[in-house]
Amino acid sequence: MEYYSYINIFETKGLAYLLLLSFLVLGVLLIRYLSGPERKDAARKRESDSTNSYEGF
Amino acid sequence: MNTAAIPTNELVRFAKFFLQELKPRGKWLTPFNVISIPVILVGLVILYFRFTLGLGAVTNLSQQYPFGFWIGFDVMTGVALAGGAYVLCFVVYVLRIEKYHSILKVTILNGLLAYIFYSGALLLDLGRPWHIINPIIGNSFGYNSVLFLVAWHFLLYTGALFLEFSPTIAEWAHWEKLRKFLTSMTLGTVIVGITLSMLHQSGIGAMFLMAKPKIHPLWYSEYIPLLYFVSSIFGGLAMVIFEGTMSSKIFSNLIGQKTHHSHNDIILGLAKGAAITMFVYYFFLAFIFMHGEKWTLINTSWGYWYLVEVIGFVLVPCFMFAYGVRNKRFGVIKTAAIMTVLGVILNRQNVCLIAYNWYVVDKYYPSWQELTVTLMVVFVEIWVFRWIVTRMSVFSKE
Amino acid sequence: MATATVAAGGVPNLNIKADTAIPPKEFVGVLVDTTRCIGCRSCEVACSEAQSNFVPDTKNDNALEKIRDTSEKQYTIVNRFETEKGPVFVKKNCLHCWQPACAAACLVNAMLKTKEGPVTWDGDKCMGCRFCMISCPFDIPKFEYSGWNPRIMKCTMCYERLQEGKKPACVEACPTDTLMFGQKRELMEIARHRVYSHPDKYVHHIYGENEVGGTGWLYLSSVPFDQIGFRTDLGTIPYPEYTREFLISIPLIEFGVPAFLLALNMLTDRKDEVREEDGWTETGADK
Repeated sequence: MEYYSYINIFETKGLAYLLLLSFLVLGVLLIRYLSGPERKDAARKRESDSTNSYEGF
Repeated sequence: MNTAAIPTNELVRFAKFFLQELKPRGKWLTPFNVISIPVILVGLVILYFRFTLGLGAVTNLSQQYPFGFWIGFDVMTGVALAGGAYVLCFVVYVLRIEKYHSILKVTILNGLLAYIFYSGALLLDLGRPWHIINPIIGNSFGYNSVLFLVAWHFLLYTGALFLEFSPTIAEWAHWEKLRKFLTSMTLGTVIVGITLSMLHQSGIGAMFLMAKPKIHPLWYSEYIPLLYFVSSIFGGLAMVIFEGTMSSKIFSNLIGQKTHHSHNDIILGLAKGAAITMFVYYFFLAFIFMHGEKWTLINTSWGYWYLVEVIGFVLVPCFMFAYGVRNKRFGVIKTAAIMTVLGVILNRQNVCLIAYNWYVVDKYYPSWQELTVTLMVVFVEIWVFRWIVTRMSVFSKE
Repeated sequence: MATATVAAGGVPNLNIKADTAIPPKEFVGVLVDTTRCIGCRSCEVACSEAQSNFVPDTKNDNALEKIRDTSEKQYTIVNRFETEKGPVFVKKNCLHCWQPACAAACLVNAMLKTKEGPVTWDGDKCMGCRFCMISCPFDIPKFEYSGWNPRIMKCTMCYERLQEGKKPACVEACPTDTLMFGQKRELMEIARHRVYSHPDKYVHHIYGENEVGGTGWLYLSSVPFDQIGFRTDLGTIPYPEYTREFLISIPLIEFGVPAFLLALNMLTDRKDEVREEDGWTETGADK
């Protein structure tokens, strides 16, 4: 219990940054996935009936 | 706007109106009534024994498990799943995304009732409930306690939710002036309400900070307040999807055509929000796992149970939400919503009951009386919800 | 030149909390030397008699056969542990932490750390939420689950007796000087003296010196403490510290977040761009 030796309190920091990096990359991919095909649909729809594009409610 | 300014004949009119509204409408012998009425009656009998013979007479609580199902499910989980109210208030009133306006009132109502009933269920669990007034009236402020903070935030936030919902009540009672005044309060109340929500959702997590040696290290971390806050966001969103689907079936005659059509669009938006929040939450969990260097714990039975929660009820529904949004598969989204709700329930039970005192031999299981009373609370809440939505204009009529 | 003078004379004392002329009252505690305990359980009887709790029949109940815990009926119990150095008897009760988790958890100050040291419970304030039981690292507070008006039961170090100038009942009843009552500072000196002068008799550790920030009750043992029912994984940080940062950050969040939300609300105002018939509504306006 009482010993004096070095403890690296930032041991996991390197791994944490790797995780962060993968989060940012995967996050970009997820956002692209979530908003992917809808945008194409919307674009096609906008072209086909430009008068009725906005459906307020 | 005080009551003194309202003439007495107005009050008499309202009393008559209220009594008239109190009368039941529609059929009596619905399947819901047939199931719920006996449960409520049995629950009342159980509560009689609870208040005369003590908690031990009806619950399986023990010295090792001072918090049981009434706290772990009713209060902890009920409050987390009522998080939809503040999330939607943020989206509609702060971000002004009008798409979700049509489901806002019903979500606020759900949140308000959840707070009244589920944090009200706390009264059943307190050993000396008549002293609940102590931390409020100030003869003993224990401001050193996380629970003091949570209690006050519960109280203030329930008030805020009531104010947010009050224009609908004023409209129902035909108090036009009051309704206008209450409506003008909305933005301020909403902003205060969101702030209060952030803190008591995380505060419920902070309650377990001092239980460090008792909660299994896979579920304990100093970030538990943050986890509770974030999980209340997607838990709340999933609950809005779930409740929205239920009420659009059950109360379809009360919902306007236009709202009915936009419902799918709303679900897609909510599911997208839930997917992103859960993605972030998953990385929080991964980071905390790594930061705590908990590698060796995974290959134990507790580790597998942890993986069931984290993979099965966070990561899988997250992917299901994303898949459902991209491919417009509403069945997948609804299944994911149910799984997410179950996941939040599971997480709260794990922290509060299952992984709490995990080394103890005599584990806690809720007694049938505890389950019945919990069911009773849920049923009474649904009764009140039904009474309100059939009388006030909660659902959008457009 | 001025700075040099200051540096030579040391850093000026900027202690903003006023120094009190009279030193604060020091905490009292009890030193438990488990090597002296013979397991007679006189302390159990004396405790229950002083606190009018359930008095155990120490002659006939064979309670030492199994490891017990304190209960809603008894504030203190003695356990027997079989170790490599023969049987060791350990008295268990509330340790009266220097910074008690139970008192920090109590939202009505029913659980109170008195300035003399004992942690007491006030039934007129307690609402029975049992959060103290969740928070206590030693699982000491016990709840009466039977009865409509339950109490939280735990050792109070005989607070009433202390105020009359007496010692706690268990200390007075102990026939072998296992228990020694006094100020914690003095008890630490005695405990250290015993450990240093008999290094073969005691393990080189005083339980309660630093555990959970230090406790009022101190324990000496001939075998490592995890062999005689003590948790050695509790750390030396006072438990209220775990919630301190959270509690302190609350006002900061509550000052800042509303302003942020209001700013967002103003930034998203598109009154001039989107007309009402296109779906624009004022915040708060009914649909």
